[in-house]
Amino acid sequence: VVFSADEASNIIKECVDSIIGGIDYNHSKINQWTAAVVEQSLMHLVKMGKPFKYIVTCAIMQKSGAGLHTASSCYWDSSTDGSCTVRWENRTMYCVISVFAVSIML
Amino acid sequence: MEEYQSGEETAFIVDEISGIIKESIEAAIGGNAYQPSRVNQWTTSVVELCLSQLTKLGKPFKYIVTSVLMHTNGAGLHTASSCYWDNLGDGSCTVRWENKTMFCIVSVFGLGI
Repeated sequence: VVFSADEASNIIKECVDSIIGGIDYNHSKINQWTAAVVEQSLMHLVKMGKPFKYIVTCAIMQKSGAGLHTASSCYWDSSTDGSCTVRWENRTMYCVISVFAVSIML
Repeated sequence: MEEYQSGEETAFIVDEISGIIKESIEAAIGGNAYQPSRVNQWTTSVVELCLSQLTKLGKPFKYIVTSVLMHTNGAGLHTASSCYWDNLGDGSCTVRWENKTMFCIVSVFGLGI
């Protein structure tokens, strides 16, 4: 079974839209949003029932002119494992979500 | 067939990993001020340096290293991560580093093979 980045990417986009879709950056709620994004994304991924361990990370940043750079490097089995990164934004914030899927050998 | 012994050699030791991450960040960007033209190469060198040090440990793990580098200008940044894995064999470690002009957050996830 191979990781499907497209399927994962669609799942993530739907999750983010439903959680922070038309909302403005709010300092007091941001913690609960980042937690909700990762938890819901993970739940949907697990529901697909594929033999993978998942790691979902999410970074939300207020739009204020600062530069933000992210990178990731993975040491795994590239024939079965994979990752997918979704960049999402609205008027007041950027959201970068990465999913890493590591195959469980059966 | 090789049998890995359980114990020190196969555990994900947070302190050890955290030390490796801090050294890698210092080596890659320590003492530098934020420069848009160099940030790409810095984020890449932080993850690559970390990963090469981790693989040198020779433990039976797959690794995922992520890094976020941000210019400090007052913007809020929040990060979260959620993992679906085997609590006994897998682990993670996150290090937050900063200097006068930038923040760097590096996370290492280790999954036992």
